[in-house]
Parts: sequence; structure tokens; C-alpha cells
Amino acid sequence: MAILTVENLHKTYTNVQALKGVSFTVPKGSVFGILGPNGSGKTTLLGIIVDILRATSGSVKLFDEVPNPTHRKRIGTFLETPNFYHYLNAVQNLEIAAAIKGHGKEDIDRVLQLVNLDQRKYHKFSTYSLGMKQRLALASCLLGNPEVMIFDEPTNGLDPVGIAETRELIKKLNGEGKTVIMASHLLDEVEKVCTHVAILQKGTLITHGHVDEILAQEDIVEAGAADSSQLLSILQQYPGGGKTSLNGHLEVAFSPGTADLEAINRFCFERGVTLNHLRLRKKSLEAKFFELTQNKN
Amino acid sequence: MLQLLKIEWLKLKNYRTFWILSGLYIFSILGLNLIVFRIQQTIYEAKEGQGMAEMILGRTPYSFPITWQMTAYVSSFLLFIPGLLLVICLTNEYSFRTHRQNIIDGWNRREYISVKIALAFILSAVSTVFVTITAAIFGFASGSSLSFDSFQYIPYYFLQACSYTMVALLIAVIVKRGGLAIGIYFLYSLIIENVIRVFLNFRGDNLGQFLPLQSSDELIPLPILQNVQKRVFEPANPTVMLVLVLVYLSAYVYFSIRKFETDDL
Repeated sequence: MAILTVENLHKTYTNVQALKGVSFTVPKGSVFGILGPNGSGKTTLLGIIVDILRATSGSVKLFDEVPNPTHRKRIGTFLETPNFYHYLNAVQNLEIAAAIKGHGKEDIDRVLQLVNLDQRKYHKFSTYSLGMKQRLALASCLLGNPEVMIFDEPTNGLDPVGIAETRELIKKLNGEGKTVIMASHLLDEVEKVCTHVAILQKGTLITHGHVDEILAQEDIVEAGAADSSQLLSILQQYPGGGKTSLNGHLEVAFSPGTADLEAINRFCFERGVTLNHLRLRKKSLEAKFFELTQNKN
Repeated sequence: MLQLLKIEWLKLKNYRTFWILSGLYIFSILGLNLIVFRIQQTIYEAKEGQGMAEMILGRTPYSFPITWQMTAYVSSFLLFIPGLLLVICLTNEYSFRTHRQNIIDGWNRREYISVKIALAFILSAVSTVFVTITAAIFGFASGSSLSFDSFQYIPYYFLQACSYTMVALLIAVIVKRGGLAIGIYFLYSLIIENVIRVFLNFRGDNLGQFLPLQSSDELIPLPILQNVQKRVFEPANPTVMLVLVLVYLSAYVYFSIRKFETDDL
């Protein structure tokens, strides 16, 4: 069963095309990351899924059905900002959320403990720090132990401990078989937490699939010699080598785990070039991301 | 609907601003009528004017059965307060963005806006109850005996209160921002509509009485000096006004639901 299916979704605001024909499917039991820079359409996409924004065209399906309010009651959603009544305390706020979802009060203490907010649960929301507001929003998502959760930048505004705890929480939820859909602009967050990723840029879906495949980090071999142009022509013939580029040193890309420095050194020496520099490094996630996003432009 | 109202109650019961304003409002209904009642006493009990007031003004306005009309008329000047309460309740949700969260958590849009419309009618009903009690108090204080002869002004007052709260609701749903909505609502209900009315009355035969809030005001004319009033202008036809008020109310309900259901939140 697919948790979420998005088909050819378009959204146009007055002057901006926020989504330009986005389609993908979120499988059950995945942690599905929607990755993209600020303004790429992540929140718009999630907003349409939970019916607070109207799509210009295209369709959304939840649990293989046309979305209805009952679906939303089964999904814990935290969108953009923690939205609560400022003059109520944590417990009173969660009572309202629980009542809308059709639950009683019995779950409130549990979720407040899960996010370490039970100490301050009788204080007004308006007195909370940003991090605490964020935790309350997470707690609200966990009410009634839903099978699916949607988080929009869940670690935004949290301190390093809070970030680590939230990521652990997401992994733990996934371990219990729950599906998590999360938007993030943080590459390494997606890489650490998600099983699947969709990359969004300026409203266009660039690619989507397993994190291991999409964010696989290539090996980069840096090499240098007195005569760079000769070295370049030799390395271009090296079997298994990918793209070569001159970037101070000569750089050759290899698919992950296939670069063999010893073999490269021998290969060059046998063809009369002595290396004065040879180094193996991983391609940075950022570089990978730029590559992905620039190929499409 | 009962379940929805229970949730609305959870939102309101600990909202101090709402209760303070409501308390002051109820106090003001009593207070304003007391002021007018004292003026009445002064005029009607003046020794030198024995009988004169009764001859010119008619019977003491706070005695039964005129008290229903008089109290409703005087209290209607405070109707901008229930409207204000409604604007606050709605625009709070916009500024806390809880209107989105309610939908995200599983309400549909119709449920959200229906419960707010219900709130407008409930506040109007509560206001009507207090006005009825006030009218009875001053009726008895005038030393007259209970009579329900012109009691229709109490349901008229309810319709008038609904008009004010529903206009407030519609403005809040359209404008969304608290300060701006309050400003527009006050200026419209207290000043702008009256300005438009004056202009319309210049142009045509009392056209101004058909304006949204004015039409509901016309349901309850000032009960004294009615002979004089009749010479100055043609009094509004109550049946026409009643129909018009109901048409306006349906329009407010329709457009607020439509606006909330089709908007990006």
C-alpha cells in the first residue's frame, strides 16, 4: 500500500509557480525526505497534502484514497510553525488537538514525556522558547500514536541536543513501522534519517528514490604531475574512471568504493608519468547536491 | 455539532480577554439603560412639567410593554461589542495559525467555519437574554405591571445582534488580520455606513434604510416621539425590513462559508 501518491501536482500563486508537475509515491514504512533549498516548494507540497492549500491542478491520494478529514485524523502533522493558542498551556492545547482528532485526554501525558515537556506542561504556550514550542508541536503529532507523520523542518530552531533527540525519535518511530514524511533543507539530516528522498528545486522534482542510490557519495581521486595535460590524457584512458576535471589538481570520479590508488599510480608510472600528488576523498554531499540540481538547469 | 461546540468551549473557557470584555459588556447594557432610565425619571417626574412629557413624548418608555422596545433600542448601541468579540475570536486563530492546525488535525473546513457561525448566533442569543432581563428589570422599576404586548422587539433585537456579529465574522474572514479587521468593523458599523446612508438618502427616497446594518436597526425604532418622527420621514415597513434582514443574514452565512472553503489558509 502506498501511504501517499502525488500526481502531476501544480500550484500557482499570484505571480509564482510554486509546483510544476510534481509526482512521486511514498511507500509504507519509509522515512521519506523531501529535500530542497528554501523556496523550492516543500511546504506548499505538504500544505496541499493536508488540505490547507488548494492545488491548481493534479491529484493527491492518501492511503490509496481521495483525501478526506478522517485520513488527517490518522496523520500527525507539524507544518512550518508550531500553531497553538498562546493563552493556553501545553495540556489545554493538546486537549483541543486530541478532541479534534477524536481522542480523549489519556494520551497527553505520554506524548509530553516523550518530548521532555512534562516539567513545563502547565505553563502558558506564550512563555515557551522556540525549542519548547517545537517540541510541543512534535508531541501534538504523536497524539493517538498515528501510523503516519508529516514533519516540516522538524529540527529547525532546536539546539544540538534537541536536534539529535528529534532525529533519534524519527528513527525510533520508523523502527516501530511508522511512515514519516519530512521536509528538510539539510542534506546531512536527510542522509542520516531518511530511507527515501525526493529532491525538489524551484517547484520541479529533480529526482527521487532510495537515499543510498541518490545521495551515494562518489570517490574522488586527486592526482598531480609536472605535466598536467599529459596526465589528463593518460587518466582519461584509465578503465573505470568517470568524469575528469582540472581543479588545481586533476580530479577523477569513481563510483563509490571502486577507486584503487595503487593501481592508478602503477598505471601512470607504466606510461611514463610520475605522480607528485595522489589522494582519495569522498565527494561532499553539498557537491553532490549541486551536481544534481544543476544538471537539470 | 455538539462535539464541535465542545471544542470551541475548550478554546474560549480559559481566554481571559473574552470573559473580561463579556462581563463589561453585560454591565454596560445595564449601565446604559440605567442612564437613560434616570433621564426618563427626571423628565417625567419634574413638578413644573406635570403631564407635559406624557403629552409630547407619550407614555414612559421603560414601562411595560414599551420597555421591550426601549431597552432593545438603547442596548443596540452596544452591539458593536459582541461583534468585536467575534472579530477577536476569529482573527486570533489567524494570527496563531490555529485555523490551519484545526484543519490539519482533522476538521474539514465546513466544520471549522460552521462552529464560528454558531458562535455568532450563540453570542447574539446570550446578548438577547440579558437585554430581555434588563427590559424586565426596568419595566418593574417603572412601577408598571408585566405585559408582553410588544414583545416582538426582543426577537427583532436577536436578529439585529445576529446582523452585527455576522458582519463582524465576514469582515474577519475576509481581512484575517486582527487590528485591521477591528478597525474596518468599527469604522463601518459606526461611521461609514451612516455616511453612505446620508448620501443615499439625498439621492433617493430613504434608500439608506436598506443598507446591511441599517436595515436591522430599522426593525427597532425609537419608541418615543413617534408622531414627530412620522412627520419628518416615512417609517420603514417592518415586514420589508424583516425579509431584508433575513436575506442579508443568509448572504453573510453563504459568503463566509464560501470564502473559508475556497481560500488558501
